[in-house]
Amino acid sequence: MPKTAHVSARMRQALLLAPSLIFLVVFFVMPLVDNSSRSFMTEDGSLTLARYGSFLSDRFYLGIIVETVVLSAAVTAISVLIAYPVAYVLVRKAGRLSGPIIFLLIAPLLTSIIMRTYGWQVLFARRGLVNQWLVTDLGILDAPLRLLNTPGLAIAALVHVLVPFAVLSIASVLQGVDRRLEEGALMLGASRFRTFFEVTLPLTMDGIGTGAILVFMIANGSFVTLVLLGGGFQTLPLLIYQQFNTTRDFALASTMSTILLVIALACLWLQLRLVRRQGA
Amino acid sequence: MRLTDIALWIFTAAFFIFMILPIAVVVVISFTSAGYASFPVPGWSFKWFARIFEYQPFIDSLWVSLQLAVVATVASCLLGIPAALHLSRARSGWATAITTFLLSPLSMPMIVIGFASLFFLSWLGFGISFAALCIVHTVICLPYVIRTVTAVYRSVPPAYEEAALILGASRLTTFREVTLPLIRPGIAAGCLFSFLTSFDNLPVSYFFGSAQTNTLPVVMLAYMEHQFDPSIAALSSLQLLLAVIALVVAERLYGIEKMTVAT
Repeated sequence: MPKTAHVSARMRQALLLAPSLIFLVVFFVMPLVDNSSRSFMTEDGSLTLARYGSFLSDRFYLGIIVETVVLSAAVTAISVLIAYPVAYVLVRKAGRLSGPIIFLLIAPLLTSIIMRTYGWQVLFARRGLVNQWLVTDLGILDAPLRLLNTPGLAIAALVHVLVPFAVLSIASVLQGVDRRLEEGALMLGASRFRTFFEVTLPLTMDGIGTGAILVFMIANGSFVTLVLLGGGFQTLPLLIYQQFNTTRDFALASTMSTILLVIALACLWLQLRLVRRQGA
Repeated sequence: MRLTDIALWIFTAAFFIFMILPIAVVVVISFTSAGYASFPVPGWSFKWFARIFEYQPFIDSLWVSLQLAVVATVASCLLGIPAALHLSRARSGWATAITTFLLSPLSMPMIVIGFASLFFLSWLGFGISFAALCIVHTVICLPYVIRTVTAVYRSVPPAYEEAALILGASRLTTFREVTLPLIRPGIAAGCLFSFLTSFDNLPVSYFFGSAQTNTLPVVMLAYMEHQFDPSIAALSSLQLLLAVIALVVAERLYGIEKMTVAT
């Protein structure tokens, strides 16, 4: 290739990439760096780690970090457990029904978070559909149950938002499993259960991992569900929201969002490692 | 059918009831004649749909949200499609790193993006303005366009474009006549997801709320904190209807499998 052609190819690459790269560096990276740097500064502009020191030695704030991670982990575990059989049906059993199933999976993704939380409120309010069934229609209970603002409902609502992502990522890995390996195991006399647990499941472990990290990352940042449905959880995003809204301690909010960011970056790093391993 | 298969299908059916029920009740409630969301529904009416158009903040914020979603989607296409075209053909380690970077806004907590951008954009002089909203929404929409266009363009063999070039077409003609028609499904899926992401976004828009820049979800959230009347249900149902129409049209044109690459 002549040298001028090579140079112009380089130029063209740069021109194609530059707009989006510059845009994200300026309007995505710089705000995040600016925000984190504020948590390392004192009022008069000198560097300090004091905020992190007091944050990480305070039982209340440590508890919030733990609660954020534990809640996200619980939501992730439940989502993956529910998603696997559904993904299995979608890929292996659905046949001609797979189109409608994908549609039913994507349709909830198109609804706003507001609509879904409103739906949970309508279902589980004192005079909601569930209490109506339990008390009037079935007569199991004498008085309506208090179901709103319970941890269980908040977790169910989070799972509802996140489980489609888990189904789609597990399904895409299941699709790639070489069926001959399963047939081989069956032919050699393994039961269907044993084939599943010793062949299929290990082969889809990476897909479970990718789906789990994806769900975990979104769960970690979500707060609208917890704001509207309560449940008594205290998580980092919820506290950032409250700091911004009422307390207005922006330095504390910057500290908390930096911690949340570090967790997100760790997840991203894990996800990249998994993807690279799948590629290899 | 074996027993395990029956169990799997029952589980799947229960799963979809779980997925659909909270959405379906909202659609049902939006047609109630009662002044509050409760069961049993005493009678049917369209009055909550009418209420949407009487409550001025709904209409104003709907207009803001629509304009915002269009601007963010167009900007994402202009910034993202060129990058996606280059990155899907590049094989170097650098290209992988750049792709990861361009997709990374998807992995960052939205509330952190919103909170950080508010301060940074104020410092730049944008303040709480429609322009600031457009910038932040483009940050969160751009990855969707890059992802879908990259996925589609990767499956297009380079031979088509090479053939056009060898036969004497200019680069521009090749792009317009060969590349663009081939990546159109990716662009459509990217636009669909970008538009819906922007239109539904609450965690980022929340920080940029003012009388002039409140988006529809921000107004709905504020409304819900004070009232429980079914106008939120009617509004949600309308939104869902529009989204489903968009999905069905996109599916008819390009196939649903192409849509799943975006998620």
